[in-house]
Amino acid sequence: MKKMMIRLMAAILLLGSAYATSPIKSGAFSSQEIARGAYGDDVIELQARLQYIGYYTGTIDGKFGYGTYWALRNFQEQFGLPVDGIAGAKTKQKLADASEYDEKFVKDNLNKGNKFTTYGNKPLSSQVSKGSGKKENVQLPGEYSEQDLRLMANAVYGEARGEPYEGQVAVAAVILNRLEHPDFPDTVGGVIFQPLAFTAVADGQIWLEPNDRAKQAVLDAINGWDPSENAIYYFNPVTATSKWIWSRQQIKKIGMHIFCI
Amino acid sequence: MKKTLFVLVYAFAVLAIFAYGKTVDNEKLSIALSNQYANNMTDASKKLQELETAVQKTLLFNEAEGSSKAREDIWRLSADIKNSVASLPLDQSFSTSWMNYLGRLGNYAKEADQAKEHSEYHKVMANASKNLRNLAEEWEVATVGLVNGRLSMDEWQSRLDATKSDHDWAGMGTMVKQYTESDFPLTASESDAMKKRDLKNLEDQEVTSEEAIKRFRELFPSVSNEIIGVETSKPGAPYPFYHIRFAENQSVGYIDITEKGGHVLSYLAERPYGKESLPFDDIKKKTEAFLKEAGYTDVVYEESRENHTAWHFVYVRTEPEYKAKVFSDVIHLKVAKDTGEIVGLDASEYIREEKTTAQPIREFDWKTFFHSDVNIVKEELAYVENDRLEQRLSYYLTVTKEEHGEIGTYVVIVDTESGEVIKTERLQ
Repeated sequence: MKKMMIRLMAAILLLGSAYATSPIKSGAFSSQEIARGAYGDDVIELQARLQYIGYYTGTIDGKFGYGTYWALRNFQEQFGLPVDGIAGAKTKQKLADASEYDEKFVKDNLNKGNKFTTYGNKPLSSQVSKGSGKKENVQLPGEYSEQDLRLMANAVYGEARGEPYEGQVAVAAVILNRLEHPDFPDTVGGVIFQPLAFTAVADGQIWLEPNDRAKQAVLDAINGWDPSENAIYYFNPVTATSKWIWSRQQIKKIGMHIFCI
Repeated sequence: MKKTLFVLVYAFAVLAIFAYGKTVDNEKLSIALSNQYANNMTDASKKLQELETAVQKTLLFNEAEGSSKAREDIWRLSADIKNSVASLPLDQSFSTSWMNYLGRLGNYAKEADQAKEHSEYHKVMANASKNLRNLAEEWEVATVGLVNGRLSMDEWQSRLDATKSDHDWAGMGTMVKQYTESDFPLTASESDAMKKRDLKNLEDQEVTSEEAIKRFRELFPSVSNEIIGVETSKPGAPYPFYHIRFAENQSVGYIDITEKGGHVLSYLAERPYGKESLPFDDIKKKTEAFLKEAGYTDVVYEESRENHTAWHFVYVRTEPEYKAKVFSDVIHLKVAKDTGEIVGLDASEYIREEKTTAQPIREFDWKTFFHSDVNIVKEELAYVENDRLEQRLSYYLTVTKEEHGEIGTYVVIVDTESGEVIKTERLQ
């Protein structure tokens, strides 16, 4: 009996020490530190929890921008934590203790593209209204909008879906190079819909649903990649009918397209 | 037999009605489009006349102040006409030349305050006025068919083809190009910017394709064993480079390396990604170790953005004099979240390296410079390009302001010498 008691005590001690030394689990947060620039489920939870206790008033979109950063710093200051705007283990634990998070409610509404908030002490049903539809789940440099990304992805898919990835990024880069060039309109829409500029606009293929690869290609171009090496035109030598395009200075060929200035 | 005949007649009738309906629809659409273009062309013609008048009005005064309203009109009208031109189906060589001319005219009027010599402004705008008048006349002749409804869209489009056109669009484009060169020649800064873009600053020795491949293998050993093609750029490329394509394991991509000096312009690999993610700190450490090994030792971290499969990083060169960031000399990196592998590098802006010059640093009283509810949260020095394409040493200020219960964050860039606000941008 004595032996059994000792064994039981040892087992309890072992379990207790294992619990005490295990990583802190902060609600449903992952073990990753979350800082400005991050995105994803952890950021969605962070924003929702901060909103629940009134620190965050912006949109819950899973993108850790300045709005989330200042809200988090305010929370850290109020709760006696080191104020660094980074959600580490201690911050996440404190936040999980101080707030509630209805993951299903948040994700359902994000998927439906609804406008919603998650403030505590208010029935969730009264915090939802119809929004403008599901948003693109991407982070872009400040000068570009999700609408730019969508429109460019449509153009890239319509113009170059059969091309290698590099060729798709290059087509997106040509659109961006035109934006910076004085000979062309200075909005993404203006460049893409300039009459006679893109075949996909003329034949309606621009309205095909772009795939993830085309979106990724646009994202890389928007983030600074230009496989076209500063081209402002491209053409398919097999199908091009304009004589003028052959008079341009050619830079390189990618897939079926020749890129030129 | 009767039944078959009935079915056939019925089918034929349905088809005929459908075809007729489609034709009517197409005609309606074509007429609507043609009307819209005619309206835009009329609008552009009217504004072109207004623009010419606005240019004339500015020539009435000796002092810039006297003509500021008319100069604003020039800027606004040239932007409006540029938008109209962009939305019209025109010959490409003509529309690009014209948009360039209009942009330069508007900018010249806008920047006139900076001009030291008003006589210069007078000379340039007098010439521009004459050229605009010529252009307006040519424009009227060129667009008459569509404006007065005599041409259908198909007929108009076929006339844009140089071989079929009864109007010399290419000649008109050349004419506008000549106007641009005579009225608004490139400034020294613009010329410098073009040289930099075309990598004229590179004076390194040429490398062979083997040396370029060696450089590729040093930087990216895990994907550079299976090279599927090495090409040189086409003869028209402003700067010659090697275009190397590879496909190793599951990675497919390319790297462009300059012939002069063997510098990496850009590298991008496409591969499937795992679902797991390394912690951000590990990814950043790997990225910085890569930069150091690759010889990019004068850059500092600027920002990063996480997306579905990768992080995009931006590093900026710092110059030694003021330890200021040079925002035109950036390196972009794409780093896989699953392994921390560098899957993209773009150093084309970094190798263009701006020549920065020393500049006086005036102290500003930010309390009077900004509104009382603005807080400065970070102050740095940086070289930033202004509207005139000059690299200016600037205060790079991150400021916040309370906005309807939220905190708005902005970057404000102020010239350290003149106090000019070069840029204000809201940060997300």
